[in-house]
Amino acid sequence: MKLNIKSLNYSTILTIWLIVVLTIWGELSNSFKTFLAVSTGHHWITKGMLSLIFFVVVYFMISKIVKDRADSTNWAINTSIATILAVIIIFGFYLWHFVP
Amino acid sequence: MVNLLVTIHVITGVLAIFAFLLVVVELLDPKEKTAKRVKAFALIGTILIFVSWVVGGYYYVTYYGTDVKPLIKEGASPWIHSVVMETKEHVFLFLPFLSILATGIIFSSNAELLKNHKTKLAVLLLCALIILIGLAITGMGFLISTGARAAGVG
Repeated sequence: MKLNIKSLNYSTILTIWLIVVLTIWGELSNSFKTFLAVSTGHHWITKGMLSLIFFVVVYFMISKIVKDRADSTNWAINTSIATILAVIIIFGFYLWHFVP
Repeated sequence: MVNLLVTIHVITGVLAIFAFLLVVVELLDPKEKTAKRVKAFALIGTILIFVSWVVGGYYYVTYYGTDVKPLIKEGASPWIHSVVMETKEHVFLFLPFLSILATGIIFSSNAELLKNHKTKLAVLLLCALIILIGLAITGMGFLISTGARAAGVG
């Protein structure tokens, strides 16, 4: 099995940031959260399904454009930094949202 | 039913962390069958994360929102839901994609994984990230269970 690693890294980073955007947007906009909730019955299910579909679509789209000549270490560092930032933003957002 | 769902969610989640820990251990001390074992552990870890996602998600959507969340929010520690649970349920969504990425690199690199230092380092870094986030999520799960019991659930 040979996957396009560069594209896989791009789609992972973009999917993680999509989750961050959906999460924060959903908390700040009632109408958007309602839209997420009515789409599948629960906002969290919609976020999960959207993320999965987005991940697959972005992977195949980028695979067609980007050639797989990735430096795995650099990309793993990029993905790790993006993920850690996303964790901090989500935690920080909910902390800020909770504290009066 | 509720206890069974939570138990499966926790056990599959912890075993997934353990599977990626085994990938790290194998890569740090490579032997003859390391390449095969690393593939198996990464694949098992990814499958377990998806099982944990589906089972935990079913519990969260079916029972948590109606039976647990209101009690925690009305209790002495509402932050357990508003900060810890909200963070856990969304950060968890990162794990399936990180595990697909780590497993994808392992399966795509084949024999190169053990020879190419950069590829090995990339897999080690991603596995460490999965393990750290997994452990943080396990800790948050413990806090939520404690908060639920303190709020009178179960």
